[in-house]
Amino acid sequence: MQIELALFAKLSARYPVPGSGREPRPLEIEDGTRVGALVERIGLAAEPRITFVNGRHAADDRLLAEGDRLAIFPPIAGG
Amino acid sequence: MRTILRVDMSTLRVTSEPVPERWKDFGGRALTSAIVFEEVPADADPLGPANKLIIATGLLGGTTAPNGGRLSIGGKSPLTGGIKESNVGGQLGHTLGHLGIAAIVVEGAAKTGLYSLLIEADGSAKLERTDDWAMLGNYALADKIAATRPEGDRFATASIGPAGEKRLAAASIAVSDPKGYPNRHAGRGGLGAVMGSKGLKAVIASDRGVTGVPDHADKDAFVAATRKFATALREHPVSGEGLPTYGTQVLTNIINEAGGYPTRNFSAGQFEFASALSGENMREITLERGGNVKHGCHSGCVIQCSRYWYDKDGHYKTKGMEYESVWSLGADCGIGDLDDVAELDRACGDIGIDTIEMGATLAVYMESGALAFGDAKGALAALKQVGTDSELGTTLGSGAGATGKKFGVTRVPTVKNQAMPAYDPRPIQGIGVTYATSTMGADHTAGYAITANVLGVGGSVDPLKPEGQVALSQSLQIATAMLDAMGLCIFVAFPVLDKPEAFEAIVEMATAHTGKDWNADELMGLGKKVLTYERLFNNHAGFTAADDRLPAYMYTEKLPPHNVVFTVPDAELDTMYDFVDETAMALQIS
Ligand code: SF4
Repeated sequence: MQIELALFAKLSARYPVPGSGREPRPLEIEDGTRVGALVERIGLAAEPRITFVNGRHAADDRLLAEGDRLAIFPPIAGG
Repeated sequence: MRTILRVDMSTLRVTSEPVPERWKDFGGRALTSAIVFEEVPADADPLGPANKLIIATGLLGGTTAPNGGRLSIGGKSPLTGGIKESNVGGQLGHTLGHLGIAAIVVEGAAKTGLYSLLIEADGSAKLERTDDWAMLGNYALADKIAATRPEGDRFATASIGPAGEKRLAAASIAVSDPKGYPNRHAGRGGLGAVMGSKGLKAVIASDRGVTGVPDHADKDAFVAATRKFATALREHPVSGEGLPTYGTQVLTNIINEAGGYPTRNFSAGQFEFASALSGENMREITLERGGNVKHGCHSGCVIQCSRYWYDKDGHYKTKGMEYESVWSLGADCGIGDLDDVAELDRACGDIGIDTIEMGATLAVYMESGALAFGDAKGALAALKQVGTDSELGTTLGSGAGATGKKFGVTRVPTVKNQAMPAYDPRPIQGIGVTYATSTMGADHTAGYAITANVLGVGGSVDPLKPEGQVALSQSLQIATAMLDAMGLCIFVAFPVLDKPEAFEAIVEMATAHTGKDWNADELMGLGKKVLTYERLFNNHAGFTAADDRLPAYMYTEKLPPHNVVFTVPDAELDTMYDFVDETAMALQIS
C-alpha cells in the first residue's frame, strides 16, 4: 500500500526515495507496518523526532493505513 | 546603584533617582508592571498625560548572562485598555544596563512639539526638540539619528514611526539591533501610540567606552553560572540547532501539520502555501541572496535566531521575518510568497506598527470583501495608508477589533481587543487558555503552551482536549513573567523546561549578580508577583471574567481539518489566578 511521507527541517535531506526537493512524496509500504518499524526502515530510528500521522501526534506502535500522511520533524520550537 | 530616569514631558525635565528598596529585586516586566500599578490610575486615558511609558531593562540587563538583554516596555494599553508589557530584543536593554538605568519612566505630555531623549555615556540625559523628525519612518529616522552621533559612537535607540505619532492603537516602538537597524519591535498593545501621545519620537542612549558595569556581588560565581547556562542552551536541540538554523520560522510547517495554522482570517487550520512560507524555504532563499541567516538581536545572545531578509537584488529589505509576522501578513491574508510578506513586513517596521495586529487586521478587512484574500498588492496599498490622514489607514491602524466594527465583520479573532497570534486555539487548546486569560490580551508569549501541546517540550498534552491545559498555561505564564523580569529571552524556556541545570543556572546567575539568595520558589514567586500587579490593575480598570473568554464563534464554528471547537470550560479558565489573593496579601496591595 502507499502512504505519503513528509520530512522536515534537517530531516528533509534524509528521504529514502527520490522526489522533488523538500517536497513530501509517496512511499510503498507493506500492510501492517507500524510507525516505529517504518522509521527504522528509513534510517531515522536514532533521531529524536516529533511524529504525526494525519495531523495528530502518533506513537511508534501506530498502525499505518493506505493513504496516511506520515510527517516527521526533528525537535524544534520557536514563537 | 540602579537608577530610575524620570522624564517629565510636561515640564521637559529629566531627573534621576535610585530604585526604591521595595523594587530592588525587580527588573524588566516586574518593574514596568509594578510602576504602572502604583503610578498610573487604572481609569487613566491611555493617550492622556496620566498614563506613563516605562522602558525597563531586566534584572540581568547589561551583564553577560546569555540571552539576558531583553527589554520590557510597559504602560496602559490603548488597544486593550489594560496593563501592557511588550517585550523586545535589540541592543537598548544592555545599553541601559551598562548605564545603570533600571527604567526610564516617561510621564506627562509635551504641550507642543516633538522631542527626543538623549542619554550620554557619562550618564547625562536631556530632552531635545526634534520637530524636523516628524512623520519620518523608522528607517529614515535611524539615518538622521546616526548623522547626529559622533564618529565611533556606540548607541542604541527606541523610536516611533508615523503610526505612533498618529496615536494609533496598534503602533509599535522600534528598537535598534546591534547593526543599528530599527528592526526589533515592542509591537503588541499600541505602546507606540503612548510614546507619540507624550510627544516623544526617540530615545537615544550611548554606552560608548562603558565597560565592567554593572557590578556583580560575586563575579566568579556569576561567570561560572553563565558558562553553565550557555552550555545548556547550546546542548538542547531546539535552542542549539533548530532556532539558530531556521529562526522562529521553523514553526510554520509543524503548526500547519498540526492543523493549527490560522488561514484566511482563522477560517481553516492549514494553508496550501505553507511550504513556500516555511523556515526551510526562507533559509534557502536567504542564503541564495547573500542574506544573513544567524545572529543575535542583541550582544550576548547564544541562541541567535535572528536573520536579515534580502531582496532579489541582494539588498537588505527587512529583518528575517519572524514566524508570527510571516503567518499574519502571509497565511492569515491568504498570501503565500515570502517576497510579498517581506514588503509588508518592511512597511510595518517603517510605519511602526505591530505585524501581528496588522496582518490580523488586514485579514478581517479582506473578510469584509473590500479586498480579496491573497491580494498582496492591495494589502500593501492599504497598509501604506496607515500613519497618513486617510480614514482607512486610521481604521486599520486601530487594529482588528476596530476594523471589524467599521466593516461589519463578526469573525474577529481578538481577546481584550488584541489580535490572536499564529496558532488557532481550537486545535491547540492550551494556547487558547493563554489567549483567554493573559493579562495582556491574546498573546502567545505570555504562556507558550505550544510546548507541550505540539512540540513535546516540557511534557505533552493532547492539543485537541481541554484536560491539563489550564494548569499548563498557568505554570508557563508564571515562569514567563519571571524570565521577562530577569531580561532573559523566552526561548531559553525550551532548554529550561527540559534540563534541570538550565534552571539552576538562572538561580545561580541571579544570586551571584544581586547578592540575594535566590531559589526556585523565589523565582516563581517573582513571576506570581508580576502577574498579581497586572491582574489587579486590570480588575481596577474594569475587566471581569467575561473578558477572559475567546470570541464566541470559536466555541461554535468548527475549524478544519480537525473540525474542533474550543472546549476548555469557563469555570476552569476562572481558576487561572487562584494565587493572586495570597500574593497580593504578601505584597500588601489590593
Ligand atoms: S534567541 Fe532570538 S529573540 Fe532571543 S535573544 Fe537571541 S536573537 Fe533575540
